[in-house]
Amino acid sequence: MTTALRPDALRRVERLGRIWEDRPGVLGWLTTTDHKRIGLLYLFTSLAFFAAGGTEALLIRTQLIVPNGSTLSPAAFNTTMTMHGVTMIFLFVIPISTGAFGNYLVPLMIGARDMAFPRLNAFSYWVFLGSGLFIYAGVFTGHGPNAGWFDYVPLASRTYNPSSAIDFYALGLIFNSISSTAAAVNFIVTIFKMRAPGMSLNRMPLFCYAFLAVSFALVFALPALSVDCAFLELDRRLGFSFFDPAHGGDVLLWQNLFWIFGHPEVYIIILPAFGIATSIIPTFTRRRMVAFPMVALAEILVAFIGFGVWAHHMFSVGLSTITTVYFAAASMIVVIPSAIQLFAWLTTLVTGRPIFKTPLLWIIGFIVFFIIGGLSGIMFAAIPFDQQLTDTYFVVAHFHFIIFGAAVFPLLGGLYYWFPKVTGRMYHEGVGKLSFWLSFLGSALAFFPMHIVGLLGMPRRVYTYSPQVGWAPYNLAESIGAYILAAGLVLLVANLVVSYFRGAPAPADPFGGTTLEWSTSSPPPPYNYAVIPTVTSAYPMWDVEDREEDVRKLDRGEMVLEEGHETPASTVLDANLDEVLDMPSDSPWPVVSALMITGIFAMLLTGHLIAMCIFLALFALSLGAWHGVEPQEA
Amino acid sequence: MSAGAARVDRRRLAQPNGWWGAALFIATEATLFGTLIATYYYLRFNATQWPPPGVEHPKVALPLILTAILVATTVPIFFAVRAARAGSARLAWLLFLVAVVVQAGYLGVQVHEFLSELDKFSPHDSAYASIYFTMIGAHHAHVVVGIAIELWVLWKLLGGLTNYRMIGVRVAALYWYFVNFAAVAVVLTQVYPSL
Amino acid sequence: MGNPGRELRGQRVAAAARRALLLAGVGCTLLLLAGCGQSEGGQSTLHGESDQTRKIIHLWWGMLAAAAVVFGGALLLLAIAYRRRTREGLPAIGQDEDVSTGLVVAFGVVIPVVCLVTLFFISDIGVVNATSAPKPGQTRMNVSVVGHQWFWEVRYPGTTAVTANEIHIPVKTPVNVRLTSADVIHSFWVPELNKKVDMLPGHPNNVLLYADTVGAYRGQCAEFCGLQHANMAMTVYADPPAKFKAWLANMSRPLAPPASPQAKAGEQVFLTQQCASCHTIRGTAARGRIGPDLTHLATRRTLAALTIPNDRVHLADWVANPQRVKPGNKMPGLNLTGTQFQQLLAFLQGLK
Repeated sequence: MTTALRPDALRRVERLGRIWEDRPGVLGWLTTTDHKRIGLLYLFTSLAFFAAGGTEALLIRTQLIVPNGSTLSPAAFNTTMTMHGVTMIFLFVIPISTGAFGNYLVPLMIGARDMAFPRLNAFSYWVFLGSGLFIYAGVFTGHGPNAGWFDYVPLASRTYNPSSAIDFYALGLIFNSISSTAAAVNFIVTIFKMRAPGMSLNRMPLFCYAFLAVSFALVFALPALSVDCAFLELDRRLGFSFFDPAHGGDVLLWQNLFWIFGHPEVYIIILPAFGIATSIIPTFTRRRMVAFPMVALAEILVAFIGFGVWAHHMFSVGLSTITTVYFAAASMIVVIPSAIQLFAWLTTLVTGRPIFKTPLLWIIGFIVFFIIGGLSGIMFAAIPFDQQLTDTYFVVAHFHFIIFGAAVFPLLGGLYYWFPKVTGRMYHEGVGKLSFWLSFLGSALAFFPMHIVGLLGMPRRVYTYSPQVGWAPYNLAESIGAYILAAGLVLLVANLVVSYFRGAPAPADPFGGTTLEWSTSSPPPPYNYAVIPTVTSAYPMWDVEDREEDVRKLDRGEMVLEEGHETPASTVLDANLDEVLDMPSDSPWPVVSALMITGIFAMLLTGHLIAMCIFLALFALSLGAWHGVEPQEA
Repeated sequence: MSAGAARVDRRRLAQPNGWWGAALFIATEATLFGTLIATYYYLRFNATQWPPPGVEHPKVALPLILTAILVATTVPIFFAVRAARAGSARLAWLLFLVAVVVQAGYLGVQVHEFLSELDKFSPHDSAYASIYFTMIGAHHAHVVVGIAIELWVLWKLLGGLTNYRMIGVRVAALYWYFVNFAAVAVVLTQVYPSL
Repeated sequence: MGNPGRELRGQRVAAAARRALLLAGVGCTLLLLAGCGQSEGGQSTLHGESDQTRKIIHLWWGMLAAAAVVFGGALLLLAIAYRRRTREGLPAIGQDEDVSTGLVVAFGVVIPVVCLVTLFFISDIGVVNATSAPKPGQTRMNVSVVGHQWFWEVRYPGTTAVTANEIHIPVKTPVNVRLTSADVIHSFWVPELNKKVDMLPGHPNNVLLYADTVGAYRGQCAEFCGLQHANMAMTVYADPPAKFKAWLANMSRPLAPPASPQAKAGEQVFLTQQCASCHTIRGTAARGRIGPDLTHLATRRTLAALTIPNDRVHLADWVANPQRVKPGNKMPGLNLTGTQFQQLLAFLQGLK
């Protein structure tokens, strides 16, 4: 807003500020329910875990840079390679995309003042932090999980892995799933019920469609993993026989349940990146997304079809031909929605007038890597090829192009894109571009030769290799690439940190964005919007009359909702105004409840069942206190 | 107060947020039970003899009767919600009390059955016992949580019916509809080898 | 907004870098072709020595060609987007939403469906028949391989032959390999001969081995199995039929009594120190089942599942300090006097 506020409007804005501001200091952060603060907590915590996972990667690459390396012993290598996978997937990429980007942006993009369940939001952050610390407590006490991120039995059973390393893994993942489940439920209800009146489903940003798909996928996929880990713990700690062939159990039960979760998980990983790409592309091409409805549908279909393909991770276990052929066919079908999105992005780029600033560069890099990773993925749907190349570095190449190239690149581009909005400062464009090129070339060098060395027969998860098989030059190149990539990422972080303190002040809308977050100040006020925005299309920032109407509404006092901690709830499909909700503000119960859950899992780990029951009772009490705070009634 | 809450409930066009949240949480729990039941059949089709030699076939009559009693508590719960939505907190309270008492009785008998069966065959010895006790134990845990939720609702309703507590009543009912449905699926799986 | 001159420079850098990337892609493909001519002792999937692997290699090259076309096409689109960045709409056609949407349908649905269906029929209906598990009557010989942490136990059903880490088969003979595991999941993989098949406790699997030419084919465990997964390799030797018969006959025989007094003393060392509690040597009292059968150890070309060559120096190293050679493996070091050690070595080197 460039015009000065009239006295009435100013009074309203000040009143909203007083109602919505957080408590000061550390206590304010511990008790916050503000989705923006929670998003930032998630951001810093997941970036810390990114650094941990990246360090683990560099240790692996240093060990493998020459044959018979001596950086890591076999035991240390197994823990490092396992923790690299666990950290990157459960403690970095899911929390940063759902917890940081999703939490911060979804309410802003739908014109709301907060998520549907603000305290549940805080709770899911504290549980995430607790689960990450729990798993790393295992690492730092010499019991780091070490059977690979997919932890196959019997290697993970008590017989072959008697230390508590696997208990940290299994309990840690169940613990972590509580956070993701809570977040998923929160996103779905927020997206369904909290959209600004007028934002019918067909006017909702594609970013939100991606998060809707991610959240449904989490809801239906996580239980399989939790049940699998529960079975593993029952086998290990209480002598159950789920996975023991000698007593009627089946080692393949673990794999089936794991991949029933694991395959949807990879779509959960990639969909937020698709959402970010579909936010950045229209802004920097200055045109609408081509085939918007097809892209929205494709985002949902990817998540849905992704539930039917899991056994393509098991093509070498000896499944019947008909089973393998079914799963190969399903795996090919899931390519189509991704291809639709890819060509929508490419066509939008070609038909638009792209400005190649840093955020768009990351998206171009994403597109290049997504194509390479997608093509190698399609190759795996050719069963005989899969049966040669699965469990080799070819598949390591495939999923690093997809996870790093296609899931992480948009996240890094998104960090640049929304940096001005979140901090109120501009990042340095030149250093931004340099950080992109270093990361892009480093990634290409680190991951592309893995295709070749896989074709040459190098299996995965090996702590060393013979100098006689011809793999050494490729490993050397990959390790050099990893170091270059690390340099690019360090430069990115440095750019953002320095720009936070010294960057030029950022306006509300530095790039010409299309979605609502660009209509409020940089950074947004605690209440997000003084007036709940008027929405009549899918590109609200380009509807100048609507934005002017918002200013007039503020003067009139319409849709300001300043009687309390208020935000509107709307109907699911058409977003007709349904009721005005009184939202909770600061509360200690989320962090207290998360602490009690940490106690429960710690006692499960150590086997102190009475102490566990005490924590369970305390958790129930804190839930009671949580629900004892009731909203003001109309 | 209760009349006010009933008015808010009638005026609303969409389901309240709390209802949606509960429905989605229930979706995860339903998936959990689906996974347990799928595991049961997966292990069954991997086995030549089910139950394995040395393990008795499951009882049919007692489990089915007990489940029928549990499912019957759907009736007082359904009418409790009806009463709450019409503004009568007291009637809702009494109907929930009836449900809780029956459910607690059910739980007592089931826990006794569970422990006595554990004495007869052990999860150490077979995958059958492992999935049998895990699936049934998970169901009982959900009954315990459901009773806890109802006790909370009973306590809160003593202070009158607000819009917030009305949503709580609806959430408790939704949870129990799910538990009772899952109970049917679990018991049919439990007795399947004897059918 | 930044300095326009700097922006333009930045964009030229971007274009140059894109060209560099294209060259790198070409370079990598060439590198790939270099992988065809593999080094001695390699286990390249691109070096096919059987009908199965050759079919898979043809499939691979076909898929790579198609992938290169798709990738090249996408790079072309990106280049067009860059070159036409000040103009709206498609080249020649201009701004037309219907055409743009049509392109998305054509390239996002129609063409992928055609390509995928083709790939499906070629690979998942066609090639998969050649690589599927052998049916009864399809093969002329059976071998049984049991995976252990971290070695391969090899038996020949119908004979008393037992060995470890080396599989001999007659050339040009379809052999059925039955695979299972004594402990955790392993995976049997000889890339030049066939696909990998997992070795699962409780789920026996079968794979066909067929070698066109006489030679040695390297394989490696392809399912993470613990501390020494990296050092669990093996060799498949395809021998001329007569040579194979002789080899099999030798493997079936128990050990002849050791000739020299040194070796006889060594046998006693073997039986009285811990060795016999883990290892079997047929023809002696050693009947351990934890480690590999050592009856004909001296005929093997490597030790510790291809970790070290089988000569006196490496054998001495291995026996004296197994944890240094293969850290975490289950063989403990022994406390032997110098004399005992020499006697043991003499005995072991006589296990022909």
